[in-house]
Amino acid sequence: MKPALASSPASVEPARKQPAIQVSNLSIVFDSNRRQIIAVDRLSFDVAPGEFVCIAGPSGCGKSTMLNTIAGLEVPFEGDILVEGSRVYSPRPDVGMVFQQPHLFPWKSVRRNIAHGPRMLGKSTTEANAIADDLIAMVGLKRFADAYPNTLSGGMQQRVAIARALANRPRVLLMDEPFGALDAQTRAVMQDNLLELRDRIKATIVFVTHDIDEAIVLADRVLIMSAGPGRVLREVAVKLPRPRSNSIMVEPTYLALKKDCLDVIRAEGLRAFNQSDAS
Amino acid sequence: MQDGTSARQEIALRIDGRGRRPDSVRLRRLNILVGALSLPLFVGLWELVSRSGAVNMVLFPPPTVVAAAVLEWMRSGQFFGDLLASLFRVTAGFIVGGALGVLLGILTGQFPVISSLLSPLFHILRPIPPIAFVPIVILWFGLSEAGKLFLVVWGVFFTVWLSTHIGVQKVDRGLIRAALMLGTPRRQMLQEIVLLGALPYIVVGLRTAVSISFYTLVAAELAGTFAGIVYRIEIAQQNLQTGQVMGGLAALGLISFLADRLFAALAERTVWWR
Repeated sequence: MKPALASSPASVEPARKQPAIQVSNLSIVFDSNRRQIIAVDRLSFDVAPGEFVCIAGPSGCGKSTMLNTIAGLEVPFEGDILVEGSRVYSPRPDVGMVFQQPHLFPWKSVRRNIAHGPRMLGKSTTEANAIADDLIAMVGLKRFADAYPNTLSGGMQQRVAIARALANRPRVLLMDEPFGALDAQTRAVMQDNLLELRDRIKATIVFVTHDIDEAIVLADRVLIMSAGPGRVLREVAVKLPRPRSNSIMVEPTYLALKKDCLDVIRAEGLRAFNQSDAS
Repeated sequence: MQDGTSARQEIALRIDGRGRRPDSVRLRRLNILVGALSLPLFVGLWELVSRSGAVNMVLFPPPTVVAAAVLEWMRSGQFFGDLLASLFRVTAGFIVGGALGVLLGILTGQFPVISSLLSPLFHILRPIPPIAFVPIVILWFGLSEAGKLFLVVWGVFFTVWLSTHIGVQKVDRGLIRAALMLGTPRRQMLQEIVLLGALPYIVVGLRTAVSISFYTLVAAELAGTFAGIVYRIEIAQQNLQTGQVMGGLAALGLISFLADRLFAALAERTVWWR
């Protein structure tokens, strides 16, 4: 299992067929004011080990709910979710999560925030701090190791949150619109940082966003989801060369891909609009 | 925020450089001056009114008479005995009531079953003013210290319990989810996330409880005792020593003020990440 993870996504050995994440027939239903709301409807998809998949879709399409379910945070669901071959019932340390808000522990310094995970898994404070210091260097926050979260900018806080999620060396990293609350400039920098980080950590990444540019820049594969009950509308393979950076957004191949995606999204938007008009 | 103030100061400096003093500076100086004169002014007025003959000097003695009574109180050695007795009741009651309040607040805030069991009872008992318990406390404990302690503990407990309970429930769900994703076990979740998340609320509850412990002290000492500041006030009242009564009130006010300030300073250090 380990060699498959370490290899780059482009060269996943055909022999190792087991996907890192296997979602089959996933349905999630909410009870809200006596009305049942179907957040996700019989959703199925696989993610290969080491793959970077972006899930793009309009707000309210259930993509965050689905990610929380894979994380083990949303309990009642129908269908099957396998991560690294085993069923998900509750949060597990081989699955890391970065939320839209950094959710840093305000009473812990940057170092202690990042060291929290390893400490909880039984590492000594010294070991945990060493892991934290490595990650702090990786996300470029050496000067802020002893700072408290409320003294950091939004982008810096989110970098700490990413480092904290990586501290337990997760096989799978789930990211729920992590850059959604940042300004455009910071977001571009963060995307480049993430691409760089990703080449070093070799984890499987599922990244939820409503920003189609972000999805194409980052992903090996983009799943476009529909509004209402979430389903996968279209799968778009992004065969842009790596290492990549934000600057590919002006390449013709990129623009052609983006046009494909936008067409699908526009058609779906129209359908949803007409449907809500009719009901 | 910080940028705003520094910019304002810079503007003020620039205006100063041209030799003009901005109005805001003049106004602030005036306010400081008036503030410094406020107490002497009212004390002086009090002295004048008392000595003018317009009021009965026995019932409304001037500050000089009050000061003399306080000095006499201190010289007789009774003052420190009274002070110690009162401080002991307040501190012991505060610590016991506060500790119980925090403990049960965490339990009811975190565990729905415990909350269902205890919260209805606490919500019924909480609005009863602690002073109303004086008669039954005398029946139960007589004039012993245990009764005094009971009253202060009772007063402190409910405030601290409620604020802790609310604080625990208001801990950011996002932090708990993040902690869950990092593999935080139950015990550490309580210690490192829930308790610290609720700490700002707990501190506010404890600070309110500081003044409540002084209110209940008054009730406790009026219920009958042998030493204490409020006890001394009551004795002086029976002897028509109005100066001593007012001196006692001033002492009580000062102690309660100092306790509040001390706690505020302590609280600032407790919530260290702010």
